[in-house]
Amino acid sequence: MNAVTSSATVPRSPAPPPAGPRTGPVPRGGGPARVSRRKRARTGWFFASPALLTIAAVTVFPVLFSVVLSFADVRLEYGGFRLLSLTGDHYAAVLSSPEWRHALLFTFGFTAVTVLLELVLGTAAALVLERLGAARGWVLAVLLLPWALINVVAAQLWGYLFNGTYGGLTWLFEQILGHQPDILGQPASAMGAMVVVDVWKTTPFVAIVVLAGLMLIPGDVYEAAEIDGAGAWTTFWKVTLPQLRPIMAIAVLFRILQAFGIFDLPFVLTQGGPGTATESLAILGYKTLFQNLDIGRGAAVATTSAVIVIGCCLLFLRVFRTQADEGGRA
Amino acid sequence: MNRRTPASGIRRYLNAVNLGGLAMVVLSTLPLYWMIASSFKGPGEISAAPPGLVPESATLGNYAEAFVRNGIGRYLLNSVLVSSVSTVAVLGLSFFAGYALARTPLRGRGAIMTTLLMLSVFPPIALVVPLFLLERQLGLLNSYAGLIVPYVALNLPFAIWIMRNYLVGIPRELEEAATVDGAGPLRTVLTVIAPLARPGLFTAGIFTFTATWAEFLLALTFNSEDGHRTVPVGIALFTSQYTVPYGTLFAGAVAATVPIGVLVMIFRRSIVSGMTSGAVKG
Repeated sequence: MNAVTSSATVPRSPAPPPAGPRTGPVPRGGGPARVSRRKRARTGWFFASPALLTIAAVTVFPVLFSVVLSFADVRLEYGGFRLLSLTGDHYAAVLSSPEWRHALLFTFGFTAVTVLLELVLGTAAALVLERLGAARGWVLAVLLLPWALINVVAAQLWGYLFNGTYGGLTWLFEQILGHQPDILGQPASAMGAMVVVDVWKTTPFVAIVVLAGLMLIPGDVYEAAEIDGAGAWTTFWKVTLPQLRPIMAIAVLFRILQAFGIFDLPFVLTQGGPGTATESLAILGYKTLFQNLDIGRGAAVATTSAVIVIGCCLLFLRVFRTQADEGGRA
Repeated sequence: MNRRTPASGIRRYLNAVNLGGLAMVVLSTLPLYWMIASSFKGPGEISAAPPGLVPESATLGNYAEAFVRNGIGRYLLNSVLVSSVSTVAVLGLSFFAGYALARTPLRGRGAIMTTLLMLSVFPPIALVVPLFLLERQLGLLNSYAGLIVPYVALNLPFAIWIMRNYLVGIPRELEEAATVDGAGPLRTVLTVIAPLARPGLFTAGIFTFTATWAEFLLALTFNSEDGHRTVPVGIALFTSQYTVPYGTLFAGAVAATVPIGVLVMIFRRSIVSGMTSGAVKG
């Protein structure tokens, strides 16, 4: 879920200081009752430090530790572990392994296809939602249900629908094709099944975010387009879409990051199979770590995906920011 | 703002919109309906082809099986405990941190906000390796604390963002008045700001609760022992035991979905505004 709303404000960071006390109202009673700036800063650190220290201890420190591990030989021992030596071998081994390349390719492909589909379908759904009138609140509530469903439950449910012998969808395909397809048993259709489940579960999220963007477009823009004689299609491409671009960028960024880290869906629906067809980077990292108990190499796999995610995030924010600036000036 | 359409097309237009809305509702709910219906089907019915839309002889046997034999009740209790404690802790910590970032002159505020954003998109797989080793060393595997502590840390960045964005919008004059009246910072925050921040707390709370309720990777790797399993792990491991007992599985899945479904329906306004308010401010 996270980060959608948050990334929204980032392109403009660092946040402008709030219209400070200087312009504030004169305190009652005349005297300079304002607390000194240094004292207020101390209060701020007092309030912020429990949260910031928790984050530092439980995420920042482990991430740094993980980078060390990715260069290390580690042995698991009863109740603990021991660092044996530091090497750079894990990265060479990971980057040159066909498993990693395949997982990377699959993860990129899955991310690209699902995010594109979700953006197109979500925008279409948002356009419908915007015009729904009285029923909109009710439909929105229903759309939240797949979004709120636990990923693992969604994977089990669709695993049943795709089941090779008696799944509802298998039966449906049999009526159309004339034979029973082994949907989860063939690489191509197994990948397709994963895309279907992800799109089913996450399109509502994109739709709701895009709907928020639609509501923000001022009505007079449309009136101007109407006076100019623009048809519905032209209005959509020339007016609606450009106005939606910032909020779509946020939704897309967030979806990219989430799809890139996908774990529970392939873990339950296909176990990464058939073979390694649907093995994502997260699944590969998990298998390296917990099935092969190869700690250093698992850490290296995890670090590569973290680097890619952070890199994508920074690149995206940079591109999006300049685009937004140009749009603002035009 | 309502969009104007050529009067001649209104009728057809409305129909297309309504059909689209109907399609969304059907596509969203049909698989869910299938899950609920199947949870009441007997073993013969569940594997019948063609599958029936309505259970012919509805039974509660699957639920009995899920709760008695498969211990789904235990997993539910574990999940309720882990998610509730995590949510309360996240709300407490993020409220104060959000206030500090919104209202006090912290140096390096921009850097803190950017770091928080980076952390809230960080892939969990990169944290599993080191946290697993650390928890192993500390003897925290298969304990409630072993999940609650990382859940709090992982959900804090986003909750702080929500709280900060919400608190920035509260007029300064209110707390200044309290300060003038002689209240210390802590008292001002607790008595003046906290009641005003309730909608923001609801939003941050519901996002944290749904995220921790569904979390799978850490729960699978840290708490795999039966007594401390959470609901997602319990449901995922249904399959690996023997041939999939779908009826029991779906009874468990429905039991896992009802609490979160009820919460989402109650707080749906907070969810929609949480998804959108930050974007509006951007």
